[in-house]
Amino acid sequence: MKGQLKAELLKIRSTRTTIGLVLGMIALILLFSLLSGLLTKAPNLVTAEDQRGVLSVGSLAGVFSALAGIMLVTSEYRYGTIRPTFLFTPKRSRVLAAKLAAGLLAGLVFGIVAEGLGFAVGYAALTGRGIHLVLNGNQITLLLLGTFAGTALWGAIGVGLGAIVRSQVAGIIGLLAWGFVAENLLFAFVPSVGRFAPVHAGDALIGLTTKHILHATAGGLMLIAWTAALALIGITVAVRRDVN
Amino acid sequence: MSKLKLKSRAGKDGRMAPAVVTESLTKRFGALVAVDDLSFALEPGTITGFLGPNGAGKTTTLRMLLGLAAPTSGRALVFGEPYAHVGDAALRIGAVLEATDFHPGRSGRDHLRMLSDSVELPRSRVEEVLRMVELTDAAGRRAKGYSLGMRQRLGLAAALLGDPELLILDEPANGLDPEGVRWLRDFLREFAAGQRTVLVSSHVLAEVAQTVDQVLIINRGRLVVESSLEQLTARVGGSVRIRSPEPDKLIAALKRAGIETTPSNDNTLLAHGTTSEHVGDLAFAAQVPLHELIADSSSLEDVFLELTSEQQA
Repeated sequence: MKGQLKAELLKIRSTRTTIGLVLGMIALILLFSLLSGLLTKAPNLVTAEDQRGVLSVGSLAGVFSALAGIMLVTSEYRYGTIRPTFLFTPKRSRVLAAKLAAGLLAGLVFGIVAEGLGFAVGYAALTGRGIHLVLNGNQITLLLLGTFAGTALWGAIGVGLGAIVRSQVAGIIGLLAWGFVAENLLFAFVPSVGRFAPVHAGDALIGLTTKHILHATAGGLMLIAWTAALALIGITVAVRRDVN
Repeated sequence: MSKLKLKSRAGKDGRMAPAVVTESLTKRFGALVAVDDLSFALEPGTITGFLGPNGAGKTTTLRMLLGLAAPTSGRALVFGEPYAHVGDAALRIGAVLEATDFHPGRSGRDHLRMLSDSVELPRSRVEEVLRMVELTDAAGRRAKGYSLGMRQRLGLAAALLGDPELLILDEPANGLDPEGVRWLRDFLREFAAGQRTVLVSSHVLAEVAQTVDQVLIINRGRLVVESSLEQLTARVGGSVRIRSPEPDKLIAALKRAGIETTPSNDNTLLAHGTTSEHVGDLAFAAQVPLHELIADSSSLEDVFLELTSEQQA
């Protein structure tokens, strides 16, 4: 199993896909942190919720770590390396388990880089403008650790999703359409259901207190449940389906 | 087939258990029967050509042998077990199904490393197989710049990582230039020299005729022929090209054995419906020196086409 994980981590590191994702993520988070930290009018930055918005831009990393997770599976199907991978490890559940672990680890790294950067830029912008920080230590700890954990879980969610759809395009479009459109519509029209959906569970995990949103603990458990469910379905179908 | 003890390596009579066995192997895709009640066994230490036209079911059969696809019915066994249950499959079986199974942005060396890491082989083994397939110089480059011949060799290198005792290759000669085909032939001969087993598929008999001991020919998912190359030649009336300084004496000797001959040019003649072994033995008995003795492979190709087209109607 150690070897499997090492192999999966090498797969992540040995193409330019990952570095491209990381650079794109850093650029986007720098941009958004600066824009929200510098351009938001001071009266709109006084409440804890306002300040949390500026300091949590790094949680966008979840999208990128989910993309990395999707690619970790779908690029194997796209380029056919899934054949030698399964020939070397015929117990496919072991391959998928290693990919899930690699997705979690990669996601954790994405989360630390992204939120580290986003928090630093946001904090510098707020204090530089002389705005008094109302978030207490616990709230900041929850924001940071929640983002790290959430981004890690999104990496594994990506792996599960990738194993289910196998197609790179379908996986990426599915993720973006759900995360940016479908789930927001669901939350807007049926918040009692939408708050259990993964993106909003992740928002709860970092301590957001938007109306209808779950408590942080419930949000974290909900995101873990989504990860486990997708991972389980992904493993089950990958084990059963023929490989062309 | 039932006489063979599949679970143990050696049967009751002391012979080694077959390396590869299919038992009534069948695969259906909807209404299409891709592999139809296919049964064969390969003895260890043999090189077998798995032949048939494109779409005959060769690749589907190999995918089932390698655990990538599940049979609709029947069994496909490697060393007596379904592939997924063979202990240390990566160390006992090497296989290449597609020559293009690489990430274009990953170097050949990293491709091999990720596979060797997964089964905890030492990294030094990667360098060894790179040397074996003569790819060391290109190993650091990204695979998208590789020629087809280099891709074929990188695939082969991956299959060799575990130092396997069984090698399964699907159309390894596809797209190779004559030099590459020759390299592959020499490589396979050397590989099989030490009691190792090779199953190599092709849709062109000539590609493998000089390498294999025996052939399995399938058409429309069914086994058409399972025989040694020599038997195949003899069975459908193959011919043998012979050059001798005493052709008349040889023609007489062959005639006594009931073998028809036609003179070719100079001291060369063609003997029909026989094998080079048989002609050689007869010439030895008649004390006729031979300068050349070749099974005519052009007629072998005709045999192959005949066998694989007769069921098309």
